[in-house]
Amino acid sequence: MDQEIVRTICYLARLEIDEDKAQKIEKDLETIIELIGGLGSIDTTNIEPLYSPLEKTALKHEDILNSDNQKEKFLQNAPHSNDDYFLVPRFVE
Amino acid sequence: MSIQFKSILELREMLDTKVISSEELIQETFQLASRFKSLNCFVTMNEEASIQKAAQIDQSGNSKSTLSGIPLGQKDLFCTEGLRTTCSSKMLFNFIPPYSATAVTNLESAGSITIGKTNMDEFAMGSSNETSYFGNVHNPWKKGFVPGGSSGGSAAAVAAGIIPAATGTDTGGSIRQPAAHCGITGIKPTYGRVSRWGMIAFASSLDQAGPLARTAEDCAILLNIMSGHDPKDTTSLDVENNDLTQSLNNSLKGLKFGIVKEFNLGDLDSEVQKRFESSKALYESLGAEFMEISLPNISASVPTYYSIAPAECSSNLSRFDGIKFGHRTEHPKDLTDLYIKSRSEGFGDEVKRRILIGTYALSAGYYDAYYKKAQQVRRLIKNDFENAFNSVDLIMTPTSPSTAFGFGTKGSQNPVELYLEDLFTISANLAGLPAISIPHGTVNSLPVGLQLIGNFLREDQILNAAHLFQKNSEFHLMKPNMEDFE
Repeated sequence: MDQEIVRTICYLARLEIDEDKAQKIEKDLETIIELIGGLGSIDTTNIEPLYSPLEKTALKHEDILNSDNQKEKFLQNAPHSNDDYFLVPRFVE
Repeated sequence: MSIQFKSILELREMLDTKVISSEELIQETFQLASRFKSLNCFVTMNEEASIQKAAQIDQSGNSKSTLSGIPLGQKDLFCTEGLRTTCSSKMLFNFIPPYSATAVTNLESAGSITIGKTNMDEFAMGSSNETSYFGNVHNPWKKGFVPGGSSGGSAAAVAAGIIPAATGTDTGGSIRQPAAHCGITGIKPTYGRVSRWGMIAFASSLDQAGPLARTAEDCAILLNIMSGHDPKDTTSLDVENNDLTQSLNNSLKGLKFGIVKEFNLGDLDSEVQKRFESSKALYESLGAEFMEISLPNISASVPTYYSIAPAECSSNLSRFDGIKFGHRTEHPKDLTDLYIKSRSEGFGDEVKRRILIGTYALSAGYYDAYYKKAQQVRRLIKNDFENAFNSVDLIMTPTSPSTAFGFGTKGSQNPVELYLEDLFTISANLAGLPAISIPHGTVNSLPVGLQLIGNFLREDQILNAAHLFQKNSEFHLMKPNMEDFE
């Protein structure tokens, strides 16, 4: 783990870390990665990963409309909106 | 007669015999919440609507449901329609959900009254309730000490006797560990038993909702109502939900309890060990048999969890982008800057740390070494449990390696120190198994918890064992001295 890797991960996660906390985060990540890295010593040859304890894929259902249009309710939580849309600042002239 | 420290069944009796009306009960509940405000266990109160619902219940005279008129707290991670839901994060500071979580709807339809939203670790990431944007929750047993986490507000509110029960969620121990630290009972059901719809997701393959209450019997009553197939959650189990209160008094004669060899209980604090031995003796006196079992990969459960949970968290929390809901930064330079600044201002340090770990574990070149590897080890851990349950019915462990600790004393230098708090609880989440924590005494005047892990969908057995323990002991009746919080 170094500053460059931390910068790349931060960008991938769309996060930025305060300058004064950067070193602490780098150290913390290193400690946690070291903890996780310990799994490398366990033999998992031919072991299928277990992505969910239920081991079933998501159930499918018919695509039927079963609730009313709740546009106003959902727009109420938007940081900025007009009557019909979520609004973001204009970035393209 | 005071309502403080009363169980659901005791309050039911008071309501049925007209010792108190629903409205009086709710008003007294808010008085208690206000009296012990310094615990900081609630983020948002729901006073007006609660009193209104109670008055309606009084008028209709309808108390057919055990939960009718019973005040409950909802962890602030469950969406509650029209009632602010923050996940204890600045990110959702003003979020008013347009719908309620299925678990909440089930409880409210049974007549219970949501009196408020309980404080928690931010986005349920923590074991001490020290990561909340709204500040630390105090343990009712000792001011300045943690209540455990992440459902710390729920546990503290129940332990303080303000409410008889509250909901929680458990991703790695977040119901059981705070229940243990606060001297109450809490159960994490089998993965899929309770719908996750409307729960703000942390790690989707591990998260499961459950109740925290004063007794195992109350937990059975609540879990009966919370459970059930929900087509809106694609991982919700479509199984029969037997009435869990029916089996509470089954005899324990011949029931086989496993003690995990690899947990090296000899390394624990000697008083914690003594409590454990004494509880084992109590169970033996009730006819249970004990044998040693081996879970060979159990020591890998903490690193496995801290690869999988952050990976799922980094994916789930990518929805918080400042566009449709949640915090948005002021004056961004461009769209990327809007995402980065909104997320960086909205999330606290622990949440950021976990998103970064998860992003790293899922990134090209590391995916196989960290994420896939952890999911393979997870299968080994699940296989170990399957083998163990061929020879035992239940597995008994301490809930937590230690009692509650002071604010800021664990994890500030090294986050892994705090992650090890979850040593005994994490494996049940990885394998999707039900597990309960019950109080079984105090060490240095702080409660300690006993954990019972059950086989898949055998909540009936762990609730039965927990209930008979409580019928034959008085640890669940212990009350903290609340003078410091008045």
